[in-house]
Amino acid sequence: MNEVESVDEPALEIRRLRIEAAGRGTATTIVSSLDLSLAAGETVGIVGESGSGKSMTARAVVGLLPPSVFVSRGEIRYGGRSLLELTERQWRRIRGSELGFVMQDPFTMLNPVRKCGRVIEESLPDAGRGTSRRQRRAESIERLAEVGITDEAVADRYPFQLSGGMRQRVAIAAAIASEPQVLIADEPSTALDVTTQRDILLLLKKLQAARGMGLVLITHDLRVAFAMCDRVYVLYAGHLVEAAAAAELESTPMHPYTHGLLISEPPVDRRVAELTGIPGAVPVPDDVAGRCAFEPRCAWSTPTCRNGTPPLTEVAPRHLSACTRVREIHGEMAHPRSRMRLAEPLPPARPPSGGPLVRGRDVRKVFDGRRDQAPALAGVSFEIGYGESVGLVGESGSGKTTLARSLVGLERITSGELVVDGVAVSAGSRLDARDRRRLSHTVQMVFQDPYSSLNPMRTIGSALKEVVRLHDPSATDPSARVAELLESVGLPAELAQRKPVILSGGQRQRVAIARALAVRPKLLVFDEPLSALDMSAQAQVLNLLTRLHRDRGIGYLFITHDLAMVRQIVDRVYVLYRGDIVESGPVDEVLARPADQYTKKLIESIPRPTGTWLT
Amino acid sequence: MNGVSERTASGRHGTANRSDVTAGLCFAFLAVICALALGPSMAPYDAMGANLTIGLGPPTESHWLGTDALGRDILSRVIVGARAALLGPLIVTLVSMVFGNALGLIAGCRGGWVDSVVMRWVDLMLALPGLLVAVVVIGALGGGYWVAVAVLGVLLVPFDARVIRGAALEQIPRPYVEAARTLGVPWWRLTLFHVWPNVSAVTVANSFLAFAMALVSLSGLSFLGFGADAGQPDWGLMIAENRTNLFENPASVVAPGCLLILTATCVNLLGDWVYQRLSERGLSR
Amino acid sequence: MSVRSTAFLLFKRLVAACLLLAVISLAVFSLVYLSPGSAEQILAGGKGSIPPEQLQRLRAEHHLDEPLLTQYWIWVKDAVTLDFGQSIQTALPVTDELGARLRVSLFLGGYAFVLTTVAGVLLGLFAALRRNSILDRAIVASTLVGLSAPAFATALLLLYAFAILVPVFPAFGQGTDFLDTLWHLTLPALALATSSTAFLVKHTRTAMLGVLDQDHVVFARARGLSITTVLFRYVGRNALIPITTISALTFIQFVVGAVLVEVAFSLQGIGSLLVQAVAAKDVPMVQGVVMLVAVIVIAANLVADLFSMAVDPRVRLGGRAA
Repeated sequence: MNEVESVDEPALEIRRLRIEAAGRGTATTIVSSLDLSLAAGETVGIVGESGSGKSMTARAVVGLLPPSVFVSRGEIRYGGRSLLELTERQWRRIRGSELGFVMQDPFTMLNPVRKCGRVIEESLPDAGRGTSRRQRRAESIERLAEVGITDEAVADRYPFQLSGGMRQRVAIAAAIASEPQVLIADEPSTALDVTTQRDILLLLKKLQAARGMGLVLITHDLRVAFAMCDRVYVLYAGHLVEAAAAAELESTPMHPYTHGLLISEPPVDRRVAELTGIPGAVPVPDDVAGRCAFEPRCAWSTPTCRNGTPPLTEVAPRHLSACTRVREIHGEMAHPRSRMRLAEPLPPARPPSGGPLVRGRDVRKVFDGRRDQAPALAGVSFEIGYGESVGLVGESGSGKTTLARSLVGLERITSGELVVDGVAVSAGSRLDARDRRRLSHTVQMVFQDPYSSLNPMRTIGSALKEVVRLHDPSATDPSARVAELLESVGLPAELAQRKPVILSGGQRQRVAIARALAVRPKLLVFDEPLSALDMSAQAQVLNLLTRLHRDRGIGYLFITHDLAMVRQIVDRVYVLYRGDIVESGPVDEVLARPADQYTKKLIESIPRPTGTWLT
Repeated sequence: MNGVSERTASGRHGTANRSDVTAGLCFAFLAVICALALGPSMAPYDAMGANLTIGLGPPTESHWLGTDALGRDILSRVIVGARAALLGPLIVTLVSMVFGNALGLIAGCRGGWVDSVVMRWVDLMLALPGLLVAVVVIGALGGGYWVAVAVLGVLLVPFDARVIRGAALEQIPRPYVEAARTLGVPWWRLTLFHVWPNVSAVTVANSFLAFAMALVSLSGLSFLGFGADAGQPDWGLMIAENRTNLFENPASVVAPGCLLILTATCVNLLGDWVYQRLSERGLSR
Repeated sequence: MSVRSTAFLLFKRLVAACLLLAVISLAVFSLVYLSPGSAEQILAGGKGSIPPEQLQRLRAEHHLDEPLLTQYWIWVKDAVTLDFGQSIQTALPVTDELGARLRVSLFLGGYAFVLTTVAGVLLGLFAALRRNSILDRAIVASTLVGLSAPAFATALLLLYAFAILVPVFPAFGQGTDFLDTLWHLTLPALALATSSTAFLVKHTRTAMLGVLDQDHVVFARARGLSITTVLFRYVGRNALIPITTISALTFIQFVVGAVLVEVAFSLQGIGSLLVQAVAAKDVPMVQGVVMLVAVIVIAANLVADLFSMAVDPRVRLGGRAA
């Protein structure tokens, strides 16, 4: 407090912040120690995977931690005041008018029973007191126009009548209605469709420049942080591990975790034989207390890394790192990165042999009770060959999941023809028991959410054994087969005795893959299998999938919205837009020379770390 | 703000331990009631033995809770009454849980006409005041304790079915169920081995709730004269018989009344606690 | 479109209510045939053999010679004009007796409803806002007891406490003028309101806490809105939605509770009438009371539906997403 501050006093400063949650009996650490400063008009990013404590940090800054979560140490200063000592009344003069806050989920952030115009009106300075109803309305329409909503009717709509992107725009307009000096945006684009994500980030950047507002952007995506921010803070398991200018962090990461994140990201422009993931999963902060949080997963760890939490030190001008060995390993860290950058792109995939395994002709699906809406599938035709890996790319609502579910018999199509290995899964006829059995031998599915993919009450072994017995009643030693299955997805056989609770997301997804493999299917359908996983786990699972495809010749139908991901795994791709296939072809060709307008937009929306992406 | 959250935080931690203690006390109380109901008779007097010479006596050393209008010992009647208070509701709970679970699971997991029928029935029952239906039906059928037990059992089935169905419906769209479906697990296996274990916390907690509801309803019926047969020791009936003697011997009404409320409260509390415990176990991420 | 869909929703609810009423009336009408003994015996009061001329009269009066459906039709036509026939006990028209008894029941119900709503919502609110405080714990604890306590037990404990130990309220009687009635019916209304208040407190608290933890409340506070604004516009409005549904359920609780409380306090209301009628096998009277209760309960459900349409635009405009 009496320290000599630099001339450029930060607008927002966090020192040694520690956040804990009170649980049964003990308190658990959420953030162990965080220092951050933000100059006026600057953009800083806080990057971290789930469980890193980044969202709670954001809520601590605006003084709105959930009940039972509390700041146990440290200081948050804004404009010369200590925020943690404010009373509720004083807070009201800070929130909204000094510090703005935008949350992740536009579907829950707006009051469902309040019209959008009113949400903005009530956020105006002094809630627009002293002005007439008409003035306030005019003002709110102006504010909506500022965030790109020119349709005045939106002011009279309820949130549930708007799309996610529109809602997020309304929320941003409300958050900055009182002209805050600093805006804290907690994953403002994550819950949105890929093509909308870029629009929202662009909007934030534009607003920030126009108002000279400081911006704290919280994200899990390094590419987004690099494109948006001046400086980036990297958080891992509640610990701040690295902080530097965005460009410098990208070119020369000084912490093995940041380095690992960078190399585990699949490249957009080419296909590589194997990605370099970070082994293991993100730990709970308390499990890595008193040592380097990343040590258990670090390739360069030594016993010294377990002696106390490494301090954040300046390893280069304005470049902080919490790795004590950074000077020794710096050169080695650069090596795998350059190797990856120079890696030869993989040759184009071999053409499928034999006839198609799956053939869809004019497949339509209309959901009951949604007659007013467009059909989920508006007559799509496609083919998947034996052993072929096919991608299905599209945003939510494009019908990609519906198509996948129809393939495995979870949905029945309304009309058209869908033949899977000689079994007609078409409309009208109910599958008889034999056909259903044959279908389940042919196609299996891996779902998006790894946490509810496994029955929480059964051990992993019993879940797998059930499938083994079901599909091969004569199996002599199901337990051996279970061990073999677990091994094939890179898990130890001992896990068979355990329940899913102890597994990380990546491990659960592996078990789900093992369960699907148990029937020796000809085709595996993946419905966004990686999108719920942390970046570091994504690369591991992606490598597993590549290996299984190569070794076993199983066909894949890989559904995703992530074009960089799809490039690494599929040979051919279909682009789905509002229930229609708008483009198809070999993946390299489609990504390099998109013919359709929508495909172009999708490719443009892949985050790129360079500054040109958001212009 | 900081201070406030810290306080609530420690407060919550305190409640967690307190709830265990409360549950323990409830369990102890219910154990005593069960012992009274099932064990060898601990009643100091014959619960049915009338003695008009000491009618309407206030609590004394020989009759701790006094006597009723016929001179019967209130303490003895309260102790013997525990049997009627527990046995009937137990049967009601068993009946409604067995049928409620079966119907709820079938309705939730299979859908179709079973689901429609069960839900229409539930809607009807929810829209009607259950106890009044019981009164009218028992009146029409011509009364008695076991008739009341049967009628209550039937009336409670749809409530349980609705709760179990709701819990099952929550599980059905989860990927682990869908995965089992695509893997060709037959529906009865799916229901019994996949869905049911995951709704068992609800099943168990709901049986406590059903028991408390049955206890209160059955004693209410007895109070109105449509439950326990006249003269039998039953808490609800005792309250009805002795309510005109409130001035002479208040204990004859207060004792069964308090016991009834306490027992029902303990069952409910224990149910809440069991539910919390079960849903914490393995069900969370 | 919104007006049309609202009208359609309303129409659907109305049709459902009428169907329900039809089902109940059929069940009520069949009472005569479900009870042990012949219809004539039951209509004569259920005792022994009946003289031939009375038998003749009964058969004619109740159209027992007609086919069953015709009998039902005649019964319904009479019921619509509020004619449920004559009470077997008193030989007076059922409707007159119902009318005479309705006053005290309505007064009791209204009184208890006011008590429940005011106390239930206020206590639930306090408990939610002061979560985990001593006040909250006290409220939650008494809620648990209140929820489990049957109305007749509460009634007699209240009677003992406030009419005998501390005699501030009368033990018997139902009062003459308004204030006197209020005084006489305070204990019964309290007994009736106890469990429904507990029910409402519990759900108000849960609803409030549910809303308080939601993103849109955090977002509202992050924009600097005052606590009172957030409470009324955000928390209150959203919490009102489940509370309305609960209120309809408390109404059904009232109907059940009223029977027990009226008997416990020896009040001459509809509830005690039903018990007396059932005990005396006075079938026309039972039919009358049950139909009256059914109409009240169904009307309460309808009103609750209307109310939830008024407070929740998603119900009104048919939105799907939460």
